[in-house]
Amino acid sequence: MPETQERQVVEIGYGGSERLVMNMGPQHPSAHGVFRAILTLEGETVVAVDAVIGYLHRCHEKLAETLTYVQYPSIASKTDYVSAMTAELAYVASVEKVGKIDVPRRAQYLRVLAAELQRIASHCLWLGTWCMDMGGALGGGATVFLYAIRERELILDLFEALTGARLLYGFHQVGGVRYDLPAGWTARCRQTVAHIEGRLAEYEAMLEDNAFFLARTQGVGVISRELALDVGVCGPIARGSGVNYDVRRAEPYSSYQDFDVAVPVQTAGDCFARYRVRMAEFRESIRLVRLVLDGLPEGAISSRPGVKSVGQVRIAKGEGYTRIEGARGEVGCYLVADGGAKPYRLKWRGASFSNLAVLPHIIPGHKVADVVAIMGSVDPVFGEVDR
Amino acid sequence: MPSSPSFLAETGQLVRAVGRAMGVTFRNFFRRPVTVQYPTVKRVYPDRFRGILALVYDKDTGEEACIGCRLCELICPPQVIKVEMLKAEKRNFAKTFTLELYSCEFCELCVQVCPTDAIIMLKTFDLATADRRELLLDKDRLHALGLQHEPSWATGNRLRDMQAPPKPAKPEARGQGKSGGNADAGEPAE
Amino acid sequence: MARAGLADPATIMPPFLQHAITGFIVLNVVIGLVTYVTLLERKFAARMQSRIGPYYVGWPHGWLQPIADALKLMMKEDIVPTAADRWVYNLAPIAFLVPCVLIFATIPFAPGLGVADLNIGVLFFLAVSSLEIVGLFMGGWGSNNKYALLSAMRAVNQIISYDLPFVFAALVPVVLAGSLQMSAIVEAQTGLLGWYVFYPVLGQLAFVAFLVATLAAENRVPFDILEAESELVAGFRVEYSGMKFALIQLGEYAHMIGTSFLGALLFLGGWLGPGSEQWPLLGAVWFLLKAMLVFLVVTWVRWSFVRIRVDQILAISWKLLLPATLLLLMTTALVVALQGARAV
Repeated sequence: MPETQERQVVEIGYGGSERLVMNMGPQHPSAHGVFRAILTLEGETVVAVDAVIGYLHRCHEKLAETLTYVQYPSIASKTDYVSAMTAELAYVASVEKVGKIDVPRRAQYLRVLAAELQRIASHCLWLGTWCMDMGGALGGGATVFLYAIRERELILDLFEALTGARLLYGFHQVGGVRYDLPAGWTARCRQTVAHIEGRLAEYEAMLEDNAFFLARTQGVGVISRELALDVGVCGPIARGSGVNYDVRRAEPYSSYQDFDVAVPVQTAGDCFARYRVRMAEFRESIRLVRLVLDGLPEGAISSRPGVKSVGQVRIAKGEGYTRIEGARGEVGCYLVADGGAKPYRLKWRGASFSNLAVLPHIIPGHKVADVVAIMGSVDPVFGEVDR
Repeated sequence: MPSSPSFLAETGQLVRAVGRAMGVTFRNFFRRPVTVQYPTVKRVYPDRFRGILALVYDKDTGEEACIGCRLCELICPPQVIKVEMLKAEKRNFAKTFTLELYSCEFCELCVQVCPTDAIIMLKTFDLATADRRELLLDKDRLHALGLQHEPSWATGNRLRDMQAPPKPAKPEARGQGKSGGNADAGEPAE
Repeated sequence: MARAGLADPATIMPPFLQHAITGFIVLNVVIGLVTYVTLLERKFAARMQSRIGPYYVGWPHGWLQPIADALKLMMKEDIVPTAADRWVYNLAPIAFLVPCVLIFATIPFAPGLGVADLNIGVLFFLAVSSLEIVGLFMGGWGSNNKYALLSAMRAVNQIISYDLPFVFAALVPVVLAGSLQMSAIVEAQTGLLGWYVFYPVLGQLAFVAFLVATLAAENRVPFDILEAESELVAGFRVEYSGMKFALIQLGEYAHMIGTSFLGALLFLGGWLGPGSEQWPLLGAVWFLLKAMLVFLVVTWVRWSFVRIRVDQILAISWKLLLPATLLLLMTTALVVALQGARAV
């Protein structure tokens, strides 16, 4: 296995300083999945970070070559399993772009609806797990976690009424979506979204002014704008560092151009800035959900007949890259089609994979306690990282 | 120590922030817990709930609905379904039908493609067992499950109808369940 | 009981036996209290988090949950890491538990109801309660585990830093009462408004400082970097299982309740309450209720905040809490001296 950089295990310097190599292993309460960080500590200060990933590699890209275009969307949701709707959307959008398949307007609006609701749910989980990392499973963090999960469950109930599943939906298909809205769903959706908006105010009351929270997050894990652009972070992390970029606005897909997406940007680049960006994204997504519900057109939910056989969708030779704005940043699929029912090659661009690359640049110099705060604010999901 | 006014202001802000946070927790103390006391109290599952799979009998003839066409076997992404066809005079049957529920993804694609609505999902998931072999469902077990539990709304034809592009308007408009018209495509509450 | 042939047991028993029996009784009561306080905390925290907490064991409301937990811990396998320092590792839970339980020796639960009402009671309490740090560090060192060691080092830092403000805050009522003897401090708080928490300005500030220092001395969030579930998993306890873990938990909660009792005694009037003069046992009940109130306030804080980093904790202690409590103590002393001078 190639060694990325030389590491000194124990170095007893003449100045009396001794370095400790500590493994924040794949099994760890704050690893956000399976993430191995080999920290070199000097006292409580982290001096170097060696990040090891790959513990959740499940050969998605090879799987995509063996599964057809109608089979793979339900598998695609398992890359970013916390934000499954956007993951599926990345795949089907790329197939539709390469195959030049139109999607009816109602389906596009339903996709936007699902994506924005999923963004709210994903940010609920982010807030809960981040506060739990910072506050302990026995402590105030767990309280915020349970409140956030309580709200996330409401959105999952909505998705359950829509598709039948709570976490991994299989909602998208090539050409449209699989499920239409059941009776009474729009009223329930509006109610849920209003309820969550009220509860957001409570979270902010618990966290915003709080000196403990501010002490843990302000000035911690500062990503400068240059570093963000150099390393190529995306999503809320880049927007927290002053990079005013959102795929929904820059390259609108699935009729996002009908909605004026307001992109929150902060310049401080620390954990608190990223927190503020995501809290603003909460509200923006709620606004978008309401707009979609108001303007939902009637029509078909798919431009192709419902799936009847496994090889139904054939895409002519071509290749292309499509990107969407997932909850964690830019999720993309590069697809090479060869005329058959299965792709020749699929490459996933996972948002968290690129975002994690920034960790070895910003963690050294911080304390051990900051490592979890920073990791939480970067919000990786290892399904996307390892695929 | 910083100068008096800002120190007092900071302390005041800290006290206020502490009060706000503790106030939120205090307010939640008096809210009803969201716990559902499963299994004495069960949640109401939505119509489209994707639970465990089952095979059904034809409503009109009472025969097994499955014709052994193996479309579900071909489409299943994790390949958990294995079917052998039994040819007969008027129609075909499935000689054996095994479904490995422990590897099933519950993606509902098999339900989607079934031409005769033979395989469906049920509104229950409660099949936990201590022996994995009990989750290797054979045809008899699948039929038995179909009789025991409430079926979910989704069948092959209903899903395909919902997804199909709208047909040109006919003089005699059909009643329920077709998409392509309403903002809420109501599904029949069956 | 001066009947012919019978005499008061207290006079015929040698004093050490009398103390041993009362000590045994108090120890058992404390352990019983500790187990049920864990249940109280779990239910209280659960309600604040929109859930129920233990429910089925001892249905309803989980009354038998602590018993079940204790039985489970007793039956668990006792795993000792191969490379652990055997003697240090095995003795650490005991070294941690003994000071935590010994503090109950000086607390009078009602007038005359206590193991030993020393006339340096508060001093003994504060001194012995800081001995737990030895057991804590032994646990962290003997486990041969980097996480445990990191946690033990943080603990030593934190507890030593917060012992001073803790002592100063606890000394304010001592100065106001003029005695280190716990029963004398309670006697000096007669009447509802005589409680030291109602003493203008000084009492409230001292109470707040006491609570903050308690949080830190008990490793409760926001000062729980010692265990820091999400970073160090279980801190210095990470390599302990079974009964040794139970002893450590016991010690931790016993210390927690001990400081709650101390807080109730110093600031909330101890056993004073309606009817406590006639029936000493009722006074003991009031005392218990007040201690539980202090405990619940600390628990409420614990379940509302995220934790802060170790360098921030130390900064708060040395730069804010220590000067503040020192100033408070000196002001109290000045006030008392002036009052005394005026009285003379």
